[in-house]
Amino acid sequence: MSDPLLRVDDLQVQFFTEDGVVRAVDGISFDVHEGELVGLVGESGAGKSVAVSAIMRLVESPGKIVGGRIEFDGETLIEVETGPDGDPYRTEATIPDGELRERIRGREIAIIFQDPMESLNPVFTVGGQLREFIELNRDLSEREAREEAVSMLREVGIPEPEARYGDYPHQFSGGMRQRVLIAMALACEPSLIIADEPTTALDVTVEAQILDLVEDLQDRYGTSFVWVTHDMGVVAEICDRVNVMYLGEIVEQAPVDDLFYETKHPYTTALLESVPRPDQTVEELNPIKGVMPEAIDPPAGCRFHTRCPAAREACTTTNPDCREVGDGDQPHRAACIKHDAFEAAYNGSPPLDAAAQQGFDVSLSGGETDD
Amino acid sequence: MTERAAAATEGVDSVGFGDPLVEIQNVSKYFPTDEGLFSWLSVNRDADGLPVETGREWVKAVEDVSFTIRKGETLGLVGESGCGKSTLARTILRLLEPTEGSIYFKGRDLADLSGEKLRNTRKDVQMIFQDPQSSLDPRMKVGKIVEEPMQAHGLLDAEGRAARAQELLEKVGLDPQHYNRYPHAFSGGQRQRINLARALSVNPDFVVCDEPVSALDVSIQAQVLNTMRDLQEEFGLTYLFIAHDLSVIRHISDRVAVMYLGQLVELADKRELFENPSHPYTQALLDSIPVPDPRADGRRGVLEGDVPSPIQPPSGCRFRTRCPKLIAPAEYDLSDEAWDRVRAFMRHVKRRDFTETDPEAVRRRYFDGHVPGGSAGDVVSAAIDDIAADDWDDATERLQEAFAEQSVCAREEPDYEVDPEYGTDRHTAACHLHRE
Repeated sequence: MSDPLLRVDDLQVQFFTEDGVVRAVDGISFDVHEGELVGLVGESGAGKSVAVSAIMRLVESPGKIVGGRIEFDGETLIEVETGPDGDPYRTEATIPDGELRERIRGREIAIIFQDPMESLNPVFTVGGQLREFIELNRDLSEREAREEAVSMLREVGIPEPEARYGDYPHQFSGGMRQRVLIAMALACEPSLIIADEPTTALDVTVEAQILDLVEDLQDRYGTSFVWVTHDMGVVAEICDRVNVMYLGEIVEQAPVDDLFYETKHPYTTALLESVPRPDQTVEELNPIKGVMPEAIDPPAGCRFHTRCPAAREACTTTNPDCREVGDGDQPHRAACIKHDAFEAAYNGSPPLDAAAQQGFDVSLSGGETDD
Repeated sequence: MTERAAAATEGVDSVGFGDPLVEIQNVSKYFPTDEGLFSWLSVNRDADGLPVETGREWVKAVEDVSFTIRKGETLGLVGESGCGKSTLARTILRLLEPTEGSIYFKGRDLADLSGEKLRNTRKDVQMIFQDPQSSLDPRMKVGKIVEEPMQAHGLLDAEGRAARAQELLEKVGLDPQHYNRYPHAFSGGQRQRINLARALSVNPDFVVCDEPVSALDVSIQAQVLNTMRDLQEEFGLTYLFIAHDLSVIRHISDRVAVMYLGQLVELADKRELFENPSHPYTQALLDSIPVPDPRADGRRGVLEGDVPSPIQPPSGCRFRTRCPKLIAPAEYDLSDEAWDRVRAFMRHVKRRDFTETDPEAVRRRYFDGHVPGGSAGDVVSAAIDDIAADDWDDATERLQEAFAEQSVCAREEPDYEVDPEYGTDRHTAACHLHRE
């Protein structure tokens, strides 16, 4: 296989808060090949958004990238190593801020956020903002940029693009604003688009329109995507490969069909069983017990063991890495010691069932602090 | 004496399970677009005589909605944002005054009630809101939050209320020990459970749930939904469950009502609605949901365009401007395929979806080079000539007038009953496709 377009290697992001260090992203690795749509899925608090903002070095204080390496198209977006004094530092290979801003952001990698209202400036017209972006990033004259902006608006399905060019963001509906952001992301024909829950705030029919649009544009431009979502339905519809995140770690990594039909991690299984289905009536939902623990104080051993129906004694001590466990032609990795690849003492270990059965009590002791 | 009046004079819980508990009859709710003192005046410089016009613009948030909710059932109300679901819910609870129509609760017209009587009825109807964050007072302890409605309605003494609050906390799946905690110590799902406990504290018959789980993570959503179902069984509750997520609706509801732009478009038994959807809007909604199965053959994005403004909703069927099954006007003799092309052309001209103005190119793009014959073809040709002259507005108007406005969908308001394929419950669908 050719070299990946984007390679994230052992990325660690921590937030230094008054209460302690939050390990929001704790050593995740994944890659994205050309023309691929890779999903990053998990519940809120799993660290998905932090992980993708690290790719563009957009992590805000008190957050900091404290380890790992992100490579994009042969360039090192960031490489952080720990010095002899224990402090992390950026290595020489990391490209400087100015260069990242001028050459990479917007031109090579674009990002689409969940809330389109926050990404558009309310006091400038939609067309003006799009035009300025094209003008700056593609060195076109104002008139050419304007023409390009109108045709981009048409491309993403804005009705009457010439007339709407002069409208302000508040005059657009949520779905149309999201289309404008997609137009903006596409305007420079980047090779990678990072989409952070771009359809979560939208209605289903609008979401469907946007997903169609993305698939169509992907066919035409061959753009790669990193798609952050919590919706397994969206994952099934558009992703080629999927990374499932739980509490700052990737617990399973697989092609989309394998993820749904050859599920290897208990968390993924639980997530799939807890969603109500639109295409069939499910009498009783099978929710995951409890709530996700806080990243400031993750459980020892496997982070999922407090909620895992298959947890055993051994899970409380070993925190498994994400290893190859599949037998298909494409890699399928999972971080669960029940698989043979781990050669752990899972089978001989007594089950932890009792704790998981307590349901809400677990959530109360795990998720909340006592008075 | 009518049955209803009899029930009213008795004034007791005489509603049996499966009988109508809440009846909504022709309810409409309009909001003025501007509530200022002189907002009914507007300036029109082009007018003959006085350059002033009177009259307010109204947002028709809910228009002419009728249905009944039976005791013990969960009625799911689904629709996209802005379709009037929440306004309808608030109108039913009389948190908003209906502009027109009446709402009967246990046979009594809520509009007739006021003051003390209305307050007493409020005890029987409770509401759970979407945002578990803002619906709990951050400075009140959980126990007090649950007790407050009981106190307001003068139920029990202080000790009894505390005991009941603790009992309810346990019932909704929380630890009664948490009686003295503040809301911030709880997660979103747990807060929604507190909301449930508060709503149940006054022993209501009817609970309106406005998107109660849409702010929660999927795994937590399932926990709360299961609890709501258990409570319904235990307390004999009736739910009006509002959501935009059809998967959630499919899980929790017994019957489902679908709303679009302030009106009900379809109402049927759950299975019937999901397996035999009879309104094009319901079908489009169902096709749009992403299915969590990569092997499912996805059909989506079937709807074009955006929801029209509720200030001037389309005449006849409100969905007609986006409907993929808009009926061809009877006066033209068009094949189905030709009509599909004309309809696509008409909508794309309106939205200016293409840039070609050359007549030949437009004909190729939409009609494979051959414009349909007859009077329909004449209109299309005239519109293509308008486009060639860069007169998009004329072309739009010409096409709308000749086709969209002539369709039965624009002329009559649909209201039909469909033969159910599953079960025997009434299935209504407001679509002219069912007019025979």
